[in-house]
Amino acid sequence: MAAGFKTAEPLEYHRSFLKENCRPDGRELGEFRTTTLNIGSISTADGSALVKIGNTTVMCGIKAELANPAVEVPSRGYIVPNVDLPPLCSSRFRPGPPGEQAQAASQFIADVIESSEVIQTEDLCIVKGKLCWVLYCDIMCLDYDGNVLDACLIALLAALKNVRLPEVTFSEDSEVPKVSLENRRGLTIHKHPVGASFAVFDDSIMIVDPTAEEETLSTAIITVVMDEEKHLCALHKPGGTSLSGEKLQDCINRTTIRHKEVHKLINKVIQSVKTPE
Amino acid sequence: MEVCGSSNPTLREFGSEQNLLSRPDGSSSFVQGDTSVLAGVYGPAEVKVSKEIYDRATLEVVIQTKVGLPSVKERAREQCVRETCEAALLSTLNPRSSLTLILQVVHDDGSLLACFLNAACMALMDAGLPMSCLFAGVTCAIDGDGRIIIDPSAVQEKESRALMTFAIDSKERRVMMSSTKGSFTVHELHQCVAISQKASDNIFEFYRESVRRRYSKSV
Amino acid sequence: MRDTPLSNCERDFILKAIEEKRRLDGRQTYDYRNIKISFGTDYGCCFVDLGKTRVMAQVSCELITPKENRPNDGIMFFNIELSPMASPAFETGRQSELMVKLNRQLERCLRNSKCIDTESLCVVSGEKVWQIRVDVHLLNHDGNLMDATSIAAITALCHFRRPDVGIQGEDVTVYSTEERDPIPLSIYHMPISVSFSFFQQGTYLLVDPCDREERVMDGLLMIAMNKHREICSIQSSGGIMLLKDQVLRCSKIASVKVSEITELINRALENDKKVRKAGGRCGFAESMPQERITALKTHVSPLEMTDVEEKANEIVLRAEAPPQTVPSPVLPGPGTGQVGEGLQSSWGLEEEEEEEEEEEEEEEEQQHKAEEEVTCVAEEKRGVDVVLISDSDSEEEEVVILNQKALTKNATSSNQQMAVDSKLKRQRERQ
Repeated sequence: MAAGFKTAEPLEYHRSFLKENCRPDGRELGEFRTTTLNIGSISTADGSALVKIGNTTVMCGIKAELANPAVEVPSRGYIVPNVDLPPLCSSRFRPGPPGEQAQAASQFIADVIESSEVIQTEDLCIVKGKLCWVLYCDIMCLDYDGNVLDACLIALLAALKNVRLPEVTFSEDSEVPKVSLENRRGLTIHKHPVGASFAVFDDSIMIVDPTAEEETLSTAIITVVMDEEKHLCALHKPGGTSLSGEKLQDCINRTTIRHKEVHKLINKVIQSVKTPE
Repeated sequence: MEVCGSSNPTLREFGSEQNLLSRPDGSSSFVQGDTSVLAGVYGPAEVKVSKEIYDRATLEVVIQTKVGLPSVKERAREQCVRETCEAALLSTLNPRSSLTLILQVVHDDGSLLACFLNAACMALMDAGLPMSCLFAGVTCAIDGDGRIIIDPSAVQEKESRALMTFAIDSKERRVMMSSTKGSFTVHELHQCVAISQKASDNIFEFYRESVRRRYSKSV
Repeated sequence: MRDTPLSNCERDFILKAIEEKRRLDGRQTYDYRNIKISFGTDYGCCFVDLGKTRVMAQVSCELITPKENRPNDGIMFFNIELSPMASPAFETGRQSELMVKLNRQLERCLRNSKCIDTESLCVVSGEKVWQIRVDVHLLNHDGNLMDATSIAAITALCHFRRPDVGIQGEDVTVYSTEERDPIPLSIYHMPISVSFSFFQQGTYLLVDPCDREERVMDGLLMIAMNKHREICSIQSSGGIMLLKDQVLRCSKIASVKVSEITELINRALENDKKVRKAGGRCGFAESMPQERITALKTHVSPLEMTDVEEKANEIVLRAEAPPQTVPSPVLPGPGTGQVGEGLQSSWGLEEEEEEEEEEEEEEEEQQHKAEEEVTCVAEEKRGVDVVLISDSDSEEEEVVILNQKALTKNATSSNQQMAVDSKLKRQRERQ
């Protein structure tokens, strides 16, 4: 009966739960799904992390390469993020060139990196005007069940913290960089941006961490990204129904809690890897 | 907290012309200072089967850059404009049909996304599509001293510490769309929202005046 | 989206009118529609209105390495964008036949006619030359796109100024417009395309066809010519046979039209130069008609800021302050961590982990559960068959089979049970 109701009238089905201040999966309106983080999942990458928020699974691998800095900004390296939503993760995505959602997500991640200054691109410069690092951050969704932006941000941040770059010495005479793979060091992470996504149902009810089904039925989605100094790095709301300033403040407050939670998680996980050494 | 210097922020002069192209069902140009955008709307019309939605119209938004091909940045902006228009349009009145909105950049001198939104709204009005509310785009910039600049030019955008673009609806002056760049405090955000809401009053007054003028018998 | 097809009635009507030497918009056979040329704010941006047909051209430049076989020549690049704004039949990102045709014709008209001195675009031979890029956007399609495009492109090229460069040893510095005045391109002549459409196998001829006339025409002849009456390209399409005399007559008409249009372009360029010199406002905003009822403009409008700060404060204060404590993450193993409660993942592995962590913390609860199970089993033992229990492997299952009540309760409330469990856990953590 319930299954039939869910298929025939998905919106009504969700509404009947929301009326009782709970959700079909048993969560409260302001409750995140279990977030699991695993770092160093890909041994061949320079830094990697796997994040699961409920069923949503996102993998981030970072590959560092040497390159020449751009002529306009000779003392900066590059960070190139890319979000891939392959047909593997959900039937809603088709094979071929990246769709609008994947492109918008890539742009969002790039914007957050730039806005939050999680890494200063000056740190990636090795020799001014001659040599710098390029960090290719490939974020791949393995299982799509909503709230992919939050998962991508956690994966990216954890992977960046996991990166160990080899030491590079650059001799002025031969102009050939020498890479010593034994001596590796981590990156300086200046800020820790963490996001929280909200979905709006029927123009008024706000739920946190929407699943894929909730995302499609909702009338608006909003993502708030915050760093540890409680500065907002992004308030991303691509259209949808309108929200008042008070509602936005509620979202921001929820994000503050979420930030602490995730920040603690990342730190602990990073710590747990370091201890055996 | 130090914000906004002695001078009040100002909107640059803005203007619009509707129905300036013969082929589209609705068209408009919107000019904010030197920033200028041309918009055209086709529809409701026949929809491709692959894009058909059974209970509402399919809206497509295309942003055309001035030089070269549109990039990922344009795709992200297309998404913002599309979802804002979708929320305003009563698309359930035209199920299984297609609406196409094309936005052409004519000149970019800052606040481009806001200009896209305003041009889009004027074009949708010109096309006579049913809408539940109107929307106005406003861009705010926060400069190095923490002053809020509204409707910034390209130079001001470059010097700013943070940049926020909001779409405000005409019914309750709430935030329909938000897109930000740079980091800012919660307090600054709410100030920018409040200023944008005030600025949107001017734009909605302009919408009203231009419609009144359009249906008047004399200029 | 498909274009609206032309009905047979319309087709017959237009053809009949042409036979009677009449046109839909009241023009004579050799008349052009009104041409309006306006310029954008920056150099090299030009709008051309040809009746209702409207195009925009933008010229830009970039320093690149030249082609190996021509190390001293700059590069000209033309791109025509068939924006869906111009016609619903145009699609983005697709190389249509029309687009290729227009692009090819524009290249023939402007590049192959050598109207621009490409050698002057060389900065360092074999290393750096300017690439001049012309983007033409079609904004409204009402026929004769080629003529509008060619006028827009050549006018934009004439209007364009490239930044000055300085060479010191190996370094090339590009000066911004503030540092040094930008330099115009050197243009030898201005080729302009004139289109003729033919009807009824070439019996009737019209200059500057509009969209509807284009749809019923049999063939098209495009002649690109400069004001010195030199033909730069001739292109006939549509598969009609033309007599020598017809082509000659067309070229004569073209020469008249070209000198008229060249005159107009020069006047427009001069006018723009004067305005820019006087420091007046120029650009698209200024070209907007003021007297139309469809257009409206406002002045710079200041905003009242008095209560903005209070409002922002009020919102921040009114909202509930977030709690200070957050749950700590659980680490099932090195390199892995979990946070949050409630819904568990449907992955088998994950569930095991979840159980592990719960085991440590919820011994008390499990004991409680175990007690429950024992009592249940005891009840069943008393109630029905005892042998059944020993046969089965799992005690749980048995409880489920025999105790119908417990089953339903278990199934429906399993989710809530989970939530309750996690809430208990959270509470304990806070304590």
